Amino acid sequence: MYSGSVGCRGCGWSMIARHISSILGEDTVYIVPACCFSIIVGQYPMNALKGNVVHTLFAAAASTATGIRAGLDRKGKEDATVVVLAGDGGTFDIGLAAVSGAAARNENILYICNNNGAYMNTGIQSSTATPYGASTTTDPLPEYKKSWPKDLVGIMESHHVPYVATASPAYMEDFRRKVKKAKEIKGFRMIMVDGPCPAGHKTDPADSIKVARLAVESNLFPLYEVENRAYKVNVKPAQKVPVEKCLELQGRFRHLFKDESGKSVLGEIQAHADQAWETLKEKEGIVSEEYVLTGE
Amino acid sequence: MPEYMEPVIERSKHFTRPETKAGGIRANKPGPPYARHTQQILKGNFAAAEGARLSRAGFIPAYPITPQTTIIESIATMIRNGKMDATFINMDSEHSVFAAAMGGAQAGERVFTATSGQGLFYAHEVLHAIAHFRLPMVVCNVGRPSIPWNIWSDQSDSIAQRDTGWVQFYGESGQEVLDSILQGYVLAEELDIPVMVVLDAFYQSHTSENVWVPDQDLVDAFLPEKPVRGTEIDLTHPKSMGGMVSPEHYEDFNYTYWKDINRVEDLTNRIGKAFGDQFGRPYGAIEAINIHPGTKKILITLATITTTARGVVTNHPDVGILKVRLFKPFPRKSIVDLLMTSGIDPETCQLITVDRNFLGDNEGALHQEMRRALYGHQFKLYGIFAGLGGKDIPPVTIQKVIDRKLEDPNEIIWIDNE
Repeated sequence: MYSGSVGCRGCGWSMIARHISSILGEDTVYIVPACCFSIIVGQYPMNALKGNVVHTLFAAAASTATGIRAGLDRKGKEDATVVVLAGDGGTFDIGLAAVSGAAARNENILYICNNNGAYMNTGIQSSTATPYGASTTTDPLPEYKKSWPKDLVGIMESHHVPYVATASPAYMEDFRRKVKKAKEIKGFRMIMVDGPCPAGHKTDPADSIKVARLAVESNLFPLYEVENRAYKVNVKPAQKVPVEKCLELQGRFRHLFKDESGKSVLGEIQAHADQAWETLKEKEGIVSEEYVLTGE
Repeated sequence: MPEYMEPVIERSKHFTRPETKAGGIRANKPGPPYARHTQQILKGNFAAAEGARLSRAGFIPAYPITPQTTIIESIATMIRNGKMDATFINMDSEHSVFAAAMGGAQAGERVFTATSGQGLFYAHEVLHAIAHFRLPMVVCNVGRPSIPWNIWSDQSDSIAQRDTGWVQFYGESGQEVLDSILQGYVLAEELDIPVMVVLDAFYQSHTSENVWVPDQDLVDAFLPEKPVRGTEIDLTHPKSMGGMVSPEHYEDFNYTYWKDINRVEDLTNRIGKAFGDQFGRPYGAIEAINIHPGTKKILITLATITTTARGVVTNHPDVGILKVRLFKPFPRKSIVDLLMTSGIDPETCQLITVDRNFLGDNEGALHQEMRRALYGHQFKLYGIFAGLGGKDIPPVTIQKVIDRKLEDPNEIIWIDNE
C-alpha cells in the first residue's frame, strides 16, 4: 500500500490494509463494497493498493468476489488471492445474505471485515454490530442502542468454513499470523478485525491502539480463531480489565458514566462480556474435542 | 406471398463480419432448410439455453425463478453432460447473481444468466452497475409482472428496467431468441454494453416450436472469442475500477456511453444483416409486415403478440404490423424512415400500439416510446392495453383491436375491459 491514503487520523483501515497487502502480495484482487475503505483506497483515478481494486455495491462484496474468483480460476489464476475488504454494515447487515451464500458455497475468498461498530462512512448510524449501550446518530442521546451485536464469528463458523478469526490492530503479530495462515488456506476464510474509529467512537486518535488493547484485555473483543469449527482462544488476558476501563475512553459511552442508571448498564455490559468469555472457553474445549474424535 | 408481406430489413453497407477461412463456412440462402443447422423441436427456454451454449458463455451464475428456471436447469445439465464448458454457480439471490455476473465479466469471462419478474426487480441496482461498468454480457429475461402474485406473460418487469442502460431485444419466437442471443453478444462486445433478450412467459418460454439450431462452427465464425479490451482485471497490470468519481469527471463517462448507445440501432441492423448472410435469417431493429400505400391500420407489437397478429392480418390486406424487436434504445430512426417511405396516408392510417405492460402511467411503454419517436410528425397514434398478467391474446382479440372504432388519439383503450 502506498503512503498518502486518505484515512482519518487514528483509523485502523490504513494500517491493517498496509499489513494485509504486504502479506498477500501483488497477485491479489481486492473487492471493496461501499464503506470507508472505498474512499481511503482512492477516488478515481487513484489506487493506494498495489493490486487490482474493484469497488462494488454495498450488498454485493461477497457475490462480486464470487464472480471474480470464477473468472480468474477459468484463466488458470487459481493462485491469485481474492480478498474482500468490507465494513460491518456491509457484512453484518446489508451484505449478510451474499456473505452467507459465499461461505456456504465455500468460495475461495478471504473476507476481511473491519468492524468499527456503526455506519461510520455515512456518519455514525447504528448497525447490528454497534455495541449495546453506545449512542449513535440513529440511537441518539439520551437513549442508546439497546440490543446486542450479532455473533458474526458464530454465524460464519456454522457455515462449516475452514477458517474464521478475530484480530486486533493492538495485537499486530497475532493479526499478521492470522492473515498469513488464511492466505494459505483454500476456501472461505473470514477475519473480523476490531476497527478503531476516533470520529465515530469519540476517542482521541492517539488512543486508538490503547482502546483496542483494552477491548481485548476486558474481553469485549476477544481474540480467537475457529479452524474447521474448532475454537482456539489466542489471547487470554493474565488479569481481566473491567469493561469500564475500555468504555470510559470512548465518548459514545459517556452517558453511561453520569448516573446510577448508566452504572447498571455498565453492569449489564460487564456481565454480557463475562458470559461471552465463559461460552468461548467452553466452545474451545468442546468443539475441538469433537474434531479430535471425528479425526477431522 | 405478396411482395408487401416480405419483411423489410434495413440493409447496411458497412457492417461485415471477418472473412471465414477458405473452404469454411458457406453463406446460407434465405429461408429453410438452413445448411449447417439441425432442426429441433424446442421450448423457448431451451432455445435460449442453446443460444448460451453456442455462444460459448463461460460463466453462469444462477438462481431459480418461474418461468425462467428451465433455462438455467438446461444449462446446468449441458455442463454436467460435457456439452458445454462453463462454470455454473448456484447463487443466493438475483442480486448476487448479477453481482457475480459483474465480477465474472470484470475478470474477462463471457457471462450468461437468466431471470424473471421479481428476480429482475431485485437485481435492479446491479443492472445499473453492470451497464455503467461497461461490461458486455447477454441475459435472458422471461417476463412476468409483480404483485399481486402472477407468473404469466407480461413485460412490466423488463420495461421497468429500460433506463438502466441495457439494450433490450424482444423475441417473437424461440428461433429469434436463440438468434438474438448470438447477435446480442456481437453487439455487446462491440460496444461494451450489456444486452437483455426478453421472452414471453409460457406462450414462448414453455411452448415448443421448430427451431433451427446452427452448428457450432457456423456460430464460431460469426461470434469469435471475447475480445480482450485491456479493461479487465489483470494481475500484471493492476487497476482500480469503480472508485468515487467527482462531478468534474462523472459526466465524461455518461457522454461516452451516450455516444455508444446511439450506435446501437444502426449496429443492430448491420449485425442482423450479417447474421442473415451467414445463417439465412436476416434481422433488423424492426420488421414491417404488410405495410404499403394502401395500409389503413398498423398494429405496433412486441414479442409473441406479433405472431398472432401475423395470422389475423392475412385476412386484412389493409392492416399491417410494425414489429419492434429492438426496444431499448428505441429504434426511432428505423421507424420514422419506414413510415415516411411506406407511402401510407398519415391523415387516415391509424397506428395502434398494443401494450402488455403497465407502468403506473396513462399510456403503456410502447405507446410512450412511439409518441416520442413520432414527435414532430403527423401520424395518428392510438393506444391499446391487452394481455396483462398473461391474459391470452387470441386472434379474436387482435380482431377486436382491428375492428375497434378509433377517433380520439388521446383515448387509451383496455381492449378486454370496455
